[in-house]
Amino acid sequence: MEELQGLDLNLPKQTHDIFAIMARGHFISSNGSKDNMGRLYDIINNPENYDRLQAYFNVIRYNIERGNNYFYFAKVGEANSIIEKKLETFERYIDIIDLFASMDNKITIGSRFRPGEISEECNANVRLKQKLQKIPMYRSETMVNKVRDICDLMARDSFLELEDEQSESYKVLDAYTYLMDIINAIAIYEETGSSDESKGSGLILN
Amino acid sequence: MENCRILNRIVEINIANVKYTDIELCGNTCFVGTNNYGKTSLQRAILFFYSANSRGLGIAQSQKTFDEHYFRYENSYLVYEVATEDSAFCVVVYRHNKLVFRFIDAPYNPDFFLNANDEAMKIKELIGNLEKKGIFVSNQIDTFERYRNIIYGTETDKTLSKFHLLKGNEKYQNIPKSITNVFLSSKSSIDSRFIKDFIANSLTTETSSIKLEQVERQLRQFNEKYSDIESYLKKESQQLIELIDKKYDQVHMLKGSQMEVADRLGSSLRFAESQNEAIRDAAKAKEEELEKLTEEHETFKINIEEKQKDVREEIGFYDRTIRDAHKKLKVYKESNIEEAVEKHSEREKLQVELNIARREYESLTSNVKSIELKYSSLIEQLRNDKAAYVNKINTRTSEIFNHYNELQLIQKNEYNKKDSDLKFKRDEAFNEAQAEVTAKQIEFNELKSEEKVIRNTRFYENEVKQLETELSELRAITYKNKSERAIKQNMIQTLQREWEAAELKLKTSLSNHVNKINTEIIKVKTEIKEIESKLNVQHDAFYGFLEKNVKDWHLTIGKVVNEELLFRTDLTPEVKADVASNLYGISLELGNVEIISKSIEEYQHEKNERLVQIRDLEDSLNQFQVSNNEEKMLAADKYGKHLGELKEDVKVVTYALELSEKREKKIVAELDEWRVKASDEVEQSLSGNRQRLNLIEEELSILNKKKNAILNEFNIQFEKLKEFNEERLADFKSRQETEISELEVEKKNQVKEYESKEEELSKEKETNFKSKGVDSKQLKGVDERVKELTDALKEIEQYSQIVSDYLKDKRETFDKLPDLIQKKEEFVKTANDLTAQLEETGGKFNLKRMELNKQKRAFDQELIEFNQGINFYSNNFRDTPVHNKYADIIDRAEPKRTNYKIMELCTQLLKNDSHFNEEYGAFQRYVNEFAGKFRIDNHFNFLIRNDATQGEYERFAQNLRSFINENKIELSIAETATQIGLVTDSIATKVKELSGQKEKIQHIITLIAEDFKKAEFEESKLIEFIKIKIEESDNKVYKLLKKVEEFREEHGLVYNEGLFNSDFAPGQKREISGRAVKLLEQLRSAIKEQDQEEIRLQDLFELKFNIKEGMNETGWTHKIDSIGSTGTDILVKAIIYITLLHVFIKESSHRSSSDFKVHCIIDEVGQISAHYLRELLKFAKNRNIMMINGLPNKSGLESHYRYTYQFRREEGGNVRIFPSIVTEVEA
Repeated sequence: MEELQGLDLNLPKQTHDIFAIMARGHFISSNGSKDNMGRLYDIINNPENYDRLQAYFNVIRYNIERGNNYFYFAKVGEANSIIEKKLETFERYIDIIDLFASMDNKITIGSRFRPGEISEECNANVRLKQKLQKIPMYRSETMVNKVRDICDLMARDSFLELEDEQSESYKVLDAYTYLMDIINAIAIYEETGSSDESKGSGLILN
Repeated sequence: MENCRILNRIVEINIANVKYTDIELCGNTCFVGTNNYGKTSLQRAILFFYSANSRGLGIAQSQKTFDEHYFRYENSYLVYEVATEDSAFCVVVYRHNKLVFRFIDAPYNPDFFLNANDEAMKIKELIGNLEKKGIFVSNQIDTFERYRNIIYGTETDKTLSKFHLLKGNEKYQNIPKSITNVFLSSKSSIDSRFIKDFIANSLTTETSSIKLEQVERQLRQFNEKYSDIESYLKKESQQLIELIDKKYDQVHMLKGSQMEVADRLGSSLRFAESQNEAIRDAAKAKEEELEKLTEEHETFKINIEEKQKDVREEIGFYDRTIRDAHKKLKVYKESNIEEAVEKHSEREKLQVELNIARREYESLTSNVKSIELKYSSLIEQLRNDKAAYVNKINTRTSEIFNHYNELQLIQKNEYNKKDSDLKFKRDEAFNEAQAEVTAKQIEFNELKSEEKVIRNTRFYENEVKQLETELSELRAITYKNKSERAIKQNMIQTLQREWEAAELKLKTSLSNHVNKINTEIIKVKTEIKEIESKLNVQHDAFYGFLEKNVKDWHLTIGKVVNEELLFRTDLTPEVKADVASNLYGISLELGNVEIISKSIEEYQHEKNERLVQIRDLEDSLNQFQVSNNEEKMLAADKYGKHLGELKEDVKVVTYALELSEKREKKIVAELDEWRVKASDEVEQSLSGNRQRLNLIEEELSILNKKKNAILNEFNIQFEKLKEFNEERLADFKSRQETEISELEVEKKNQVKEYESKEEELSKEKETNFKSKGVDSKQLKGVDERVKELTDALKEIEQYSQIVSDYLKDKRETFDKLPDLIQKKEEFVKTANDLTAQLEETGGKFNLKRMELNKQKRAFDQELIEFNQGINFYSNNFRDTPVHNKYADIIDRAEPKRTNYKIMELCTQLLKNDSHFNEEYGAFQRYVNEFAGKFRIDNHFNFLIRNDATQGEYERFAQNLRSFINENKIELSIAETATQIGLVTDSIATKVKELSGQKEKIQHIITLIAEDFKKAEFEESKLIEFIKIKIEESDNKVYKLLKKVEEFREEHGLVYNEGLFNSDFAPGQKREISGRAVKLLEQLRSAIKEQDQEEIRLQDLFELKFNIKEGMNETGWTHKIDSIGSTGTDILVKAIIYITLLHVFIKESSHRSSSDFKVHCIIDEVGQISAHYLRELLKFAKNRNIMMINGLPNKSGLESHYRYTYQFRREEGGNVRIFPSIVTEVEA
């Protein structure tokens, strides 16, 4: 980075911050407020900056990908094994999104909620409860803690933002669309032969 | 006693744990005592005399307050005795709820306070005693401020003004501050920061600092508002707003229609429930009515049919009679009845002629009677024989004739019988077929009339009429709404133009005002600069020279000199004693001449006045801006609200129009539907009819065919019968004729024989007659005539029977024939009338029956629909969430007939709800996304909870709409723009205020530096020099604050324009605004980063020292940890403090007041060497400062002090302070 910054590309001064966030595999969403995220989004979204940043990051084999109101890095020429690993990591999000999408008050971009609200709803609804139980989160003893862990995980992955620590209020960031898009891109095919075994391998990511 | 003013003595009576002590202080004083014996407490009590601030005495917060610790009893007193030039006065401090002061115009006397038992008196008693003694005791001084004013000689009350320690100027507060600061600093190292603090604290009040928390709050508020507006103005947000608005309308409309449908469903349900029985009864009533109607019709029909039957019978009779008559007539005509009748009428005449001929014959033969008789008898005999023979033959002929006639008759009878039997059968079959045909024909006619009725019936007339009425009403409302919308849109445009004009006016007035104020400010600033330039050069200018060298020059030169000359630096003035009191050798009486020159204070004052003026101008600008904004807000409130209302109205009207359009379309569709339904109904009814008609037609044709077949069959039979009959008759006739002709031939031959015999006899007779003379010729003629007449009569006799029959028939029948025809026609007419009547009644009946059937069917249909609907509602709708959603509306609805079926309504609600949910989901998503773009506590209050109700989402959209309608963003932008101005201004003011004191610091530092120079260390050569200098601060926050101030100075008050891209401000202004925002953002992050509470005066500059002690030189440094030994450090520190104190006292006291001394209280000087101490005391003494120091124990150092007091703890924890017997060596 330091070497690169020496290049005179007339880069925005927030380049380092942008890199620091996106290189961790995180997203920069337009509706994020922590760490000046909204501002960073605006900076990347500025066409001039975008081209410069893209050119700059391409040198280190990173590509800025643009989503609906969010940006992230895609590594150029990533090994298949790493992609597979990423997909495995992604698998649990399927259950999480499934849970979130099944709530009475659907969680969508910009929604604000507290883990307590979700756990309460899960408690009152057997179907949701089962969905929550299905999500593999270790060390979560109570339901609310499990939801907290989920929120924490999603916040760490920059899909959510802990907006107010005191009230434990989370906000859904634009990057959430990424998850939805991926889920929507999953095509499930049924193998004619076996039934249960094919479930795990029946996911195709377009 | 000193011949100057000094705190001479402090007396503690019941103070803390000291019962009584009397300490003299009019020289250097030293307190010796182990730690925690009360040395510091005593020093604090002394400090309190100077500072009169119970909080600034260095008492930790955990400790008891000064009031509580010192003044435990109501008779606790602190008495300070102040020596004056000629006498002394006392200050008594005691607690009367709070700490208060009284001045006693007398030196201290223990008797004033203690009674005979050596107990302290109460204040009232004390004052009473003093007053009795005629000693002046001041009123109670309640505030520290007033006390300080008195002590430092600024009190205006003449009775109190004499109780001063020194005459301070407006900066006298620096003296107690400095003394306090010296006392409170006990660090061993010399840190420039501390000195900075010292100087700064001495110069500033507690409030003269920039509270960064406050600044940060202001910045945060601004920044938050700014980012809120930025978020709002983003393209994505605007798109979302549009989407929300659109979706809200859709959702609203859907909800409205759902509610309408729910209401209809409720109405239909209630109606169905309430009308069920009624409809059932109505249907039953209709059925009964129908039955009655049918019954009545049947009775009527039977009556008519009976009548028809009678009439038909009559017609048949007459018809038959007429037919028979015609037949007979025909037969008579064929028999030449007319000729026969004519001949028969001549019979009588012929009979008379015959009788005459017979008598003539008899008269001719009377002469030859015997011959005649003989021949007559012979001829007669012959004739008789012949006649007998002829008779016999005739008899036989007639027998044959009769026999065959009889046979023929029998045959005829048989034929007739068979014929009539067959006819009967035929008629029976025919009638049967005809009856069937007639019945079918009637049915056919009925159907035809029914069809006519159907064609004329307007089905669903009520519904169509209702819809047509509704449609026309709706169109009228639509028309009204359209014109209302047009009017409102016009009003909106007008209002918008007005608003824009008002805004433009406000903007122009603001910009004019800003320009005006800025011009004025620039003008005043120029004046300030002039004054500042004067002040800056005054030291080196003629003015400075006069100040230094000429006493009261303002009263002399000041009256005659040109002001500009005073500040010129190139005049090189010199004092010449001989012309000192005149002007170039000319003496002037200047008593009445006004002073032109001004003192530095006056210049300062003028400068301050101008600064105030700028401030006022800026304030007025701010106020104007605020009021401008307020006006803007008022305008926004006035126009925005009105516009919002109008826009809302327009929306409502538009919505109503949309609804009516939809409704109209729906009604039109419904109308069409009803019409189609009506025509369908007609078609359906007609098609039923037609089918039946076709069927009947077919049946009719079949029946007709059958009828014809019957007729044909019978005709064939008739033919056969006739043929057979004719054959038989012909046979009989031919046999009869043959036999008769045979007999005739035989008869002819025999008659011929008889006639030849008769002729022979006649000839014989004639011969005889001739012989006897008789005319035989005449006789023969007569005889022939008789024969002719007899033959004619015989012929007539032959037709007599038929003629008599004819005449009888004629009399009985033929003559009555016209009457019969007439009567038959009458009956035919009656029959036709009856048929018509039957047909008409049938038609009416059918119509009514159809109507009733239709009504009944409608009731039945309705009932079925109701039941089906209720069942559907109960089974498929009531348990759905959709029902729960609209349960209220459904339950509350009024029972009302609607044009919709319950089932349809339920289905529609269910179907629409899924569409509604879809739309609502999108609406919620948009709202969430939009609200998510803002901070949780954004100032627009765009916030929606995740579990928000539909109502809350809708309110959100409504609020958003009014936000847009009332153009609140503009207000917010204006507010934020004002805020940036205010924040910048507030920061700039604070920075300016604080920086203003920097000059004072510079001044003080210069004085300190000079004082250091003057310090006489030559004797000991201990300290060669102490140098001090000032440098720019490297505080990041301050630097940025300064930048903000500079920015403010450069650009004036930043306001309103160009803050956001939405503004149409010129690029330059936008750039300026952009810079301002950036600067404030930097400042905010710097404040966060630096985590400093406030920017104080000491943060504005850096102090550096350079001290040389012996061979050691520190170089320019902030902090001097160790110059030499600890003692040296303490010494240097004390020297610096004393210097500072000296400088401040000098600066803060009136020039005329020089005969006073103050104390410098420095605790813990135990580590200083005696030599140094002596140096120090001497250093202080030269500056009219008395030292009060603390020592932990006796070490010989105390010998350098004039007074030494020792501390001892006694039983009960009390401390006794007593003077130590030492001799002052030298001070």
